[in-house]
Formats: sequence, structure tokens, C-alpha cells
Amino acid sequence: MPEVFIDGKSYEFEGQPKLLQFIMDEGLELPFFCYHPSMSIPANCRQCMVKVGQPVKDRDTGEYELDENGERVIRWFPKLQTACNFDVTDGLVVKTQESDELVERAQKDNLEFILINHPLDCPICDQAGECPLQIQTYKYGPEGSRFEVKKVHKPKRVQLGPRVILDAERCINCTRCTRFADEISKSYQLTITKRGDKNYPTTAPGETFDDPYSLNTVDLCPVGALTSADFRFRARVWEMNQTPSIDVSNGKGCNIDIWTRDNQVLRITPRHNPHVNDYWMPDVGREIYPLFNDNRISRPSVILDGENQIKSSWNNAIETFGEQMEAIKPEEILAIGSAHASVEENYLFAKFGNLLGISTPLFTPHIEPGSGDGFLITDDQAPNTNGVRLLGFEETDSKQLKTAVKSSNAKMILLLSDHLIDRGVLSADDLSGKYLVMFATNESETTKKADLLFPITCVVEHAASYVNVDGRIQRSFPAKETKYTNRRLDLEMTEGRLDRYGTKFDNWVTDENKVDCLPVWDLMALIGGRLGLDITYEGGSREVIKEVSQNMPAFSGVTYERMDDELGIELDTEHQTVKS
Amino acid sequence: MAADWRSFKPVLIPDIPNLDDIDVYIKNGGYEALKKVLSDDWTTKSVIEEVKAANIRGRGGAGFNAGLKWSFMPEPDGGPRYLACNGDESEPGTFKDRMLFEYNPHLFIEGSLIAAYAMQCSTIYVYIRGEYIDWIKMMDSALNQAYEKGFIGENILGSGFSVNFYTHPGAGAYICGEETSMLESLEGKRGYPRVKPPFPAQKGLWGRPTTINNIETLANVPLVINNGADWFKNIGAENHPGPILYGISGHVNQPGVYELPSGVPVLDLIDEVAGGVKNGKKLKAVIPGGSSTPVLRADQLDGVSMDSNSLREAGSMLGTAGLVVIDEDTDMIDLLWRIAHFYHHESCGQCTPCRDGTGWLEKILLKIKNGEGEVKDLDLLLDLTTQMEGRTICALADAAAWPVRHTINRFRDEFEARCKKSVHAIA
Repeated sequence: MPEVFIDGKSYEFEGQPKLLQFIMDEGLELPFFCYHPSMSIPANCRQCMVKVGQPVKDRDTGEYELDENGERVIRWFPKLQTACNFDVTDGLVVKTQESDELVERAQKDNLEFILINHPLDCPICDQAGECPLQIQTYKYGPEGSRFEVKKVHKPKRVQLGPRVILDAERCINCTRCTRFADEISKSYQLTITKRGDKNYPTTAPGETFDDPYSLNTVDLCPVGALTSADFRFRARVWEMNQTPSIDVSNGKGCNIDIWTRDNQVLRITPRHNPHVNDYWMPDVGREIYPLFNDNRISRPSVILDGENQIKSSWNNAIETFGEQMEAIKPEEILAIGSAHASVEENYLFAKFGNLLGISTPLFTPHIEPGSGDGFLITDDQAPNTNGVRLLGFEETDSKQLKTAVKSSNAKMILLLSDHLIDRGVLSADDLSGKYLVMFATNESETTKKADLLFPITCVVEHAASYVNVDGRIQRSFPAKETKYTNRRLDLEMTEGRLDRYGTKFDNWVTDENKVDCLPVWDLMALIGGRLGLDITYEGGSREVIKEVSQNMPAFSGVTYERMDDELGIELDTEHQTVKS
Repeated sequence: MAADWRSFKPVLIPDIPNLDDIDVYIKNGGYEALKKVLSDDWTTKSVIEEVKAANIRGRGGAGFNAGLKWSFMPEPDGGPRYLACNGDESEPGTFKDRMLFEYNPHLFIEGSLIAAYAMQCSTIYVYIRGEYIDWIKMMDSALNQAYEKGFIGENILGSGFSVNFYTHPGAGAYICGEETSMLESLEGKRGYPRVKPPFPAQKGLWGRPTTINNIETLANVPLVINNGADWFKNIGAENHPGPILYGISGHVNQPGVYELPSGVPVLDLIDEVAGGVKNGKKLKAVIPGGSSTPVLRADQLDGVSMDSNSLREAGSMLGTAGLVVIDEDTDMIDLLWRIAHFYHHESCGQCTPCRDGTGWLEKILLKIKNGEGEVKDLDLLLDLTTQMEGRTICALADAAAWPVRHTINRFRDEFEARCKKSVHAIA
């Protein structure tokens, strides 16, 4: 196999890798700014300079020429080369900053140039803490500055579009944002304007940067030049917890990170998954984060006198549910599952009904034809349509569901997390005279009609899995504590700096943002207990998915461990009706 | 050694009135070379071999053998191939190509057609700097004449060879004179130099094989075809043969463009050709090939002639043979600041060392110019030139760094005298 020598060590390689990517894949380090593995290589930041040489071969024999010590004779390139666009070839000798003073000096020189016109306003910059320029300056940059003249001034606080704000002075002109708009989102809305040290990215005059993927440029920006209009100045990076999760705003299931502080979700960023979303996600997926913080249902509610919904204790709510169930026959109960809820929740919902003799739950897909873009925005507005299908729920449309709900047979309706009135599937009248039991996360017109309302955890509060439009099952992690969970005790939860180094008595810690809700598996155990059913899962959702994988052929072999290791699992949906 | 330069008769811009008119040009033997190469006696290969043998070294500054460059074009694959002619001359001190546009456009057109034939190009673009509005018009009318006579277009002179020829105005950016940046500009994009490899011969305009030649280089081609490579090789300096358009500017009595063989002694050019230094002043320095080439002090010029070897030995470069003559009253700090200002203004901003380095150089030089500089600033300047040179995609950073380094090194006393005493102790 061909080999390359980096800092005196030999590495084997296959194919035609570029040097910078190869160095990173081998776990070595080289500073860079403009390079991005999913976009073209402009080699403009000039930061990844290395010294490279080719071994000299004898023209006649094709053998490597050797010097008096028996070492290969190396013909060094006269100039340092950027590693990002340099092809790795057999026998190539590379010296990085680790083994060559000139390379180390060149990288330092380059950072000095980048920094002379950079405002160095890290203390008020949103990027600080996750800033490649900051990190690499600490590692490879010069100490102090020799720049004693005036910096270049450029436009600041420019609203490029509804979601992105530009500080041109911070820009280091890496062109990642313009390349993103040209090559990935293909909106062609950004360009570099002016020349030399006066240049910066902008839109054409009068144009707005309203690309539906515009916020990806904020993630791409290696400095704080592009910031999110919504997130800027909201939190320092090191104050937040970063938790992997899945985008539930549509059916693609983009892999994301949830950023929380004090049990509030403050922002959502994409997480790399080459099988689903690469490094990107649509802006809408980021903008739904208030759903996880605001308007949450906390504590159960019951309708007492036929009109007013009032908060109730869990015991009272469960007792009320038990009494209602005892007064009704299973065939008079209609169960409606939801493509907005996870596989585990729907499975338990169906299992609960099954144990009581209630017929298979129905569900109505939430698909809006024409709203997708063929990239990361899908027609499907729900994250788990395929999951519900694979669980064998009966798929209905609005008309069929109306008929089923209105039929005189149905006296009680069990509804899982689907705001049917709000999305126009049912009208409030359709539900009149029915006893509606709803399990939901957020308040809506539909939840207002619930005679009995159980608050359940949402995607950022539990570990649960969702099957995307392509039949890939992926899962979330708990990112927010509820009233009943504890970050320090739940091993699934991440700990941020504040969790690790702060104490419960620090003045920034508050319990106010914890919602009084239960995961469906815990709630079912309580309800089941009241009704004499044994539905307990000591291991929570992890145990639920284990049971799903044992009972449902489509889910065979699915575990959280595998989903974590393989970035989700493509389900065998061959014999199932899976539409995207 | 070739004959004395004083007996040389101009061939690029001969003294024939109205030569820009195609009839006059034809009457004086014009387009004969084209007819010759399109005849059965010549093949595309033999044209390239002849031009390679003549050793026409690129007149745009890099001095690369034109025929050799042509031979890098891959075999035709049926797709489009391009010849891009670089008429974007915008370096201070360089103003030779416009003489060809104005006085002998058909010589350049004929040379381009021969080049296009040799490389089997289907389209020729001539990229002319945007400030040359009048010269773009001149080129357009010359091209129209050549189209009318059937020298350009479909099935030229019944040979089966077809080519189209377009002018393309620049938009005022020096960087678009850099060959790959010019290709970007021709494609309608922002003038950013491209990363090489791939080289234009492999992936040029719209990803297709492209060769880029300077206007003056191409104008030499018909001369080589008509008179033979040996004739050409015997003109001027051995390693850099042929006629050269010397653009002489600055403090001389008769500035202008003069066609002479290569290798004319620098002092002869100043004293005899350009009528000596203005107002009887003493010569202080010469920038021999456009503002990016290192300045030479008057005392470095003895025996130095305008060919690449001689100038390299003296510590400079031939560049585009645009001499800037500097008299004894010139403030070198002022001059260097003005050059640095130019490169700061013209840096495209793509690569970090050039984008930020050119600005820094200018700002320090301005400080020194205003008497606020310190001696340590000179060392910082020299340091910055090393930090910029060879670290960027194109050579603009080098072009910005060289004048600074060499002007400071060659006039260090003058610079130090302008600096105030350093507040820092010098060890």
C-alpha cells in the first residue's frame, strides 16, 4: 500500500486523499480556516502551510535514489504548500509545525496577518469559546502584536437577512459563507465585495439573505463575523450544555445539537451525519426551539364542571382516568397515535390499548405536499411518520378520522401528542360529547378541549427514537431536566461547565424552568398500576426499544448502542408501506 | 553577438503610416504568415516547433518560452479550446501593449490566429484593461476588418480552420492581469487567481484547455513564421532574443515606447534612446521592468543590459521592460510608499498574507514618510516581506514585497535618515 511520511512517521493511505483531510483523519493537527470537507477548496486562508518533498527516483531503474546514509533523497518543494489542496502521493514526505521551524513560523506569520485587522473583541463576541481563530491563535499564533498602525474599519451590525447579522471587521475572508450559498444551498445570495483588506461578504444591493439554510453560514463562519440574529448576545458558549438530538421539525430527521442553559433550550445547531444531513440543517429546524421552553403543559389538568380545565395532581388525574376507564367498554374507546411522537411512545400507547382490548390506534400523517425542497426540508411535517407506520398503526386521512371520531361508538378518545384541531384534521365540534384524554407536551387549541390532559416529556427531555422519511431510525438524548430528572444522576445527560464546577447554590441556578411532566413510559407504569396492568420499564425508553426490537420485525436488531455507534440505523422497510 | 542595437529597424511597430488599416497591413506583407501556416507546407506541430525554436520568451513578465507553453495543451478531444490574450497591462511603468493595439493591431491578430491554429483553439479572447477604452475600440474595428477579409471566422482562407475572436474589457483591476484571475474575469466572475494545479492548459476557461499569452508575445509570432526561428534568435540577447518594446517613463527627456532588440544597455536606453535624464539631473535609480521589479541604484547599472540574465546578476528582473527612470531629487520613501499604495489597492484580498500584508506595508511606509517612523519599522518591513513572499496563490504578494525589500536594502541610509530616533534601546 502506498505510504506517506508525516513528521517522520509512516502512514498508509488509499485512494487520492488531500493532505489536510488525511492529516485530520489520522488524528493529527494542522491549523486551518477556509477548508471545509463538504465544499470546494479555495486555499485562501493560507494557514495550513506545510513543507513537502518528493523522493527522487532514478529515471532508468525507477528505484528511489539513496544518499550516503541509505536514506531516500528528497526533493523539497521550493515554497511551502497549503495542505488543503495538496494531493497525497506515494513516498511524499511532509513536515508540519511539529517538526519544522519554518512551517511553525509561517503559520505564526499568517495568524499575525489575520489578526492585524481583526477587532480582537472576543470579550463581547458570540463566537468566543468556539472560535477557530481564537483557538488556533492560542495554539499557533504570535505573542502580542507588532501592529502599531490603524486597523481597517468596515461595516458592523449589518442585517444581511432576517436571521443573519454581519460584522465585516471580524471577517477573515475565508469565503466559507459564499461557497455555502453557491455550492450547498444554491441560493447564490452571497458574494465578496471590494478588494484587498477592505473586502467582506455581502448580498447584491437590495437583496436579502433569506436563504432557508442561511444559519448554516453562522456555524461555518470561523470567526464571529456572521452571527444569528436570534441567538447573538444570549449566552456564552461555555455556559451551555451541548446534547445530541434529532430535528423534529420535519421528516428528514437532521442530526442536531441542543444547546441548553439552566433548562432552557437557547439554540440548535446541526451535527454531522453523512447519511442524513451532512453538516447542514434548515433554518426552520433551529427556529422551533421555543417549543421546548414556552407554552409547555406542566402538571395534569382535568375538566371539572364540563367547561373549565383546571390543574390537578398526578394522583387525582390518574384516579380520574381509572374511574373513566372502568365506566366504559374497550370498544367504545378510540386510540389515536401520532407521527409527532417517538417510536417508544407510540409503541407503549398501542401496547396499553392492546392490553385493555382497545382496537389498533389510528394516525393521520402530517404531510403537506409541495412544502419540501428535495434537500433537507421535506413535505412530511412530522419526524416519525414511518415509525408509526412500521408499528402497524392504521393510517387515516382527515375524512376517515372525522367519521371514526364522530361515530356513536366512540365515547372516549385517547390522543397522543397530535394537535388535530390546530392542524385542521378535526374541528372542535367533531369532539363534542366525547371524553378526550390527551397526552401532550405543549398547550394548543386541541389540548384546551381535553377532559383529561397528561403532560409528557418532549424530545429534548427524554431519550427516544424517530424513523425519518428514508426509514432511518435515530434517537434523541435528554437535554433538559424535568421536575423529576436530575442531570447529575441521569447518565444519559451531558454536563456542562456550570454543572461540573457550579453548585446548586450558585445564583444562576433556578428550578423555574423545569416542567412538571413525565415520560410516557413512567406515566404508563402509573396508569397501568391503577388499572391492574403491568407496564413497568425500569430501564426507561432503552428497555422499551429493546422490547420493540424483539416484538416488531421491522425494528429487529435496533438498540440505542447501535444507533449511537452507527449514527442511526437504516431499517429494513422492504415489506412495509414506507412512503417519503 | 547580434548587430548593434543602433542599426535595428523596428519590426513590431514599423514606421509605416496607417498600418492599423488592414489594406495597408496586407500591402506590407500582412497575413502572409497566416496563409503560410494554413497551407499544406505547415502542420500545427511544425508551427509549435518553429515558435519553440525561436525562443520567444513571454513578454508579460514571466519570460516563459511561448512555443513550449503551447506544447502543454493536451490533444484535441473535440471540445472547445481557448486562447486568451492578456492585454490587461496595468502595472505602473508598463504601457507597451497599447502601442500594438493602436499602431499594429493586425500583427497581434495574425499572431493570435497562428497560435490558435497551432493549438487548435476555437475561440480567441483578447482581454484589454478597462481604462483603455479607446484602444478597445481600435481593436474592435481591427477585428471587424479581419472578419470582413475572412481572416477570422468560419473556414479561414478555405483551410477548414475556424475561429472566433472577441475583445473583453477589464473593469479596472490590476489582479485581472494575473492569468488565472483573468480567466475568472472572462467567465464573468470576481477576479480571484486560481489555485494551481490544475494549470490552464488542463483546466482553463470553463474548465477547458486554455493558453494565455501576452499581446507582445503573440505579435512576435508572424515575424518568426515569416523570417524563421534563426532570424529571430539572432536579434538581441542570446538567452532572451527578439525585438522588445521598451516603455521608458519617469525623469527622462523623451519618455515613450521604443522598439529595440533585447539586451540594450540600460544606460544607453536612458541616455541615447530617451534623451537623457530630464533637466540635466543626475540619475539616481532605475526600476527596470515595471513597479514590481527591484529597483537598481545608478551605481549598479554599469554594464547592465536589458536581458534577463544581466538583470538577474545585477539584482533585478526584466519584467515587462517598462523602465522607470528616477533622478537625484526623488524621495525614495515617497516612491516606495506610492508603489506600496498601489499593491495595497490592487490586492484582490483572497490570500491572507497579501490581503493584510500589503495594507500593513503601506501604513508603515506612510508613517515613515510622515517622519513618524522608527528604525525598527524598517526591520519590521523587511520581516513582513519575507512573511508575504511565496506564501500566496499568485505572485501579487511577491510583487508587493520585492520593491519594499530591495528599495529599503538599497537605500537604507535614506530611509534611516527619515526615521526618528528609536525610543527603544538598540542592542
